[in-house]
Amino acid sequence: MTPAQEVDYILNDCFFAVGQAVGTQKSLDFDVIPWWRARYRAFFLHAMSANGNSWLRDRHRVTAVGRFLGQRALHHAADNPSIDLRTAELASSDVETGCRMNAEREGVPAPHASQA
Amino acid sequence: MNTQETPNPFHSDVTDSQSTSTDTFNSPSPVEIQELERQVEYIVDDCFFTVGQVVGMRTTVDYDAVIWWRDHYREKFLAAMMAFGNRWMEDRSNVTTVAIMLAERAVRYSEGKPSIDAEAARRAAADVERHCELHARRAARRSGLDPSDASATRIAGYWCTF
Repeated sequence: MTPAQEVDYILNDCFFAVGQAVGTQKSLDFDVIPWWRARYRAFFLHAMSANGNSWLRDRHRVTAVGRFLGQRALHHAADNPSIDLRTAELASSDVETGCRMNAEREGVPAPHASQA
Repeated sequence: MNTQETPNPFHSDVTDSQSTSTDTFNSPSPVEIQELERQVEYIVDDCFFTVGQVVGMRTTVDYDAVIWWRDHYREKFLAAMMAFGNRWMEDRSNVTTVAIMLAERAVRYSEGKPSIDAEAARRAAADVERHCELHARRAARRSGLDPSDASATRIAGYWCTF
């Protein structure tokens, strides 16, 4: 499987993880999905081309970051019944800031979410 | 997972009313097929998100199960979209309600296991598709339609039975 094919399975895996953390009390606006997909597809493909496909090795760690993304989205959604695009952007910003800090601590040069 | 018009489908009945329109999307062009292939990815993502919501932190999912579900449903969704066009925004609430059932069945089939494996995923999908087929036939009979025609298939989840 090429990275371009594999990345779709990885994104599905991550959407599942985000949903786990969000739970059933809030819904997700559909326009968030293309936004998250485009963003993380690019990050993941970059990581896969730079480091090779190490999904099975990194899966546990990256899906944990996916659940953190869900938690942050839930937090930013506050009393809103659904997670909208603005909420998703704030959650991604939180997660990516955390990932960059981790990467710097670990001495990883490229600041990408998939290297969290 | 669900539309803003339906704030929380987690409390709705999986057999809620479905579309009965019979128009079809005839022979999409290569450009249209390419666009549907792009759109189906969002739909599959949406369903994975919903299944994750319902599974919650009760258990987790094996990557083999993710692969199996994706291969299985992407093909079905794309076939449905090739036939009827992209009706996701109209059907989203109903289909994601079926995804809730898929998740519950998968959790049940993974009892005693550390996670949802490919076998549990396959068994859950088989249950859901049986349910959708039975519901489609019942709904067709109620509507006075021939259960074997395309419009009947469309009722109650052509997304997962196509």
